Amino acid sequence: MEDVLDEIVSSEDLQKFEKVFHEQLHQGNVTHKAQFEYAWCLVRSKYPTDIRKGILLLKELFNSHPDGKRDYLFYLAIGNARIKEYNKALHYVKSFLEIEPANQQVLALERQINKRMEKEGLIGIAVASGAVLAIGGIVGLGIALASKK
Amino acid sequence: MSRCDFKIVLLGSEHVGKTSLVLRFVNCRFNADIPYQNTVGAAFCAKAMQSNGKNFNIGIWDTAGSERYEAMTKIYYRGAHAAIICYEPSSVASWKRLRHWLQELRGVEENCKVYLCGTKKDLLDGGYVCREVPEDTIASYTQGLCGHFFTSSKTGENVDELFQKIVDDCAADVQLMKNVEDMRLQLQKEEVAFKAKSKDYCFC
Repeated sequence: MEDVLDEIVSSEDLQKFEKVFHEQLHQGNVTHKAQFEYAWCLVRSKYPTDIRKGILLLKELFNSHPDGKRDYLFYLAIGNARIKEYNKALHYVKSFLEIEPANQQVLALERQINKRMEKEGLIGIAVASGAVLAIGGIVGLGIALASKK
Repeated sequence: MSRCDFKIVLLGSEHVGKTSLVLRFVNCRFNADIPYQNTVGAAFCAKAMQSNGKNFNIGIWDTAGSERYEAMTKIYYRGAHAAIICYEPSSVASWKRLRHWLQELRGVEENCKVYLCGTKKDLLDGGYVCREVPEDTIASYTQGLCGHFFTSSKTGENVDELFQKIVDDCAADVQLMKNVEDMRLQLQKEEVAFKAKSKDYCFC
């Protein structure tokens, strides 16, 4: 059950890193470190709006700080997977694997994302077929009642 | 729903072999062809183990050793029942950082059981590297801790022994086991409640 996609940041941690980020923002000098740590908390939040904000901050870092590229790609993949943007998540996974083809952590993440897509795809089918069965039942009942008359 | 009964964290400077240790333990594999990759943030693995005929799920958080992640990795120490602090016997620098790791850990989780692990035994045994940390230094440092293991992730030597000792120690800890039992009960209750709730919405 516990995996990197399920992990949720505690509100104290989020607030702690948020405070540092905002202080630096106020002074007009945000370090890569502060922005990354805040974004890292945001993408692990349970609220999609936080995650989206984290993704924006990570994208900004990705474009401005090439040294941290792999970190940003990794958490961009996690953030997108958590808001069920699986195709985008897999795109970041792919970009990471272009830099480090055999990275175990990222390969594991890729497996998890695929598993989720599969699971949610199946659930979709199950709901759909359940509805078909239910409609079939009602129609059947209707026919049975009609033929009784 | 199965949660982990015991939480173990790995700490230590970068490049000492924390990830290799976890992968050897969980997958029984060591791949010498994969180049060094530093861990991003922290990685999680789980494994089912036994102690004294009882089953336990253990969760392992493998934290990044690079200083860049320090503020982040500290968060993973929280709630850890046991910690493995790794160092390389052939690197004084990695040994000197031990005290730092221990302090960081104690600052977050005071009662965590701590095990030291000297890695890359095969390199030392094969004469590829020289020992820089004397054995008696290690022995005296280990006294206040729960144990010391000298492992090789390449051959697997002492890897299972290390994790088995941790699980045995945890299972023998009355207070810890009480918490584990309480948590299992809590999970069971939640599961029953969850099932009852989902029944309300069932079409059948």
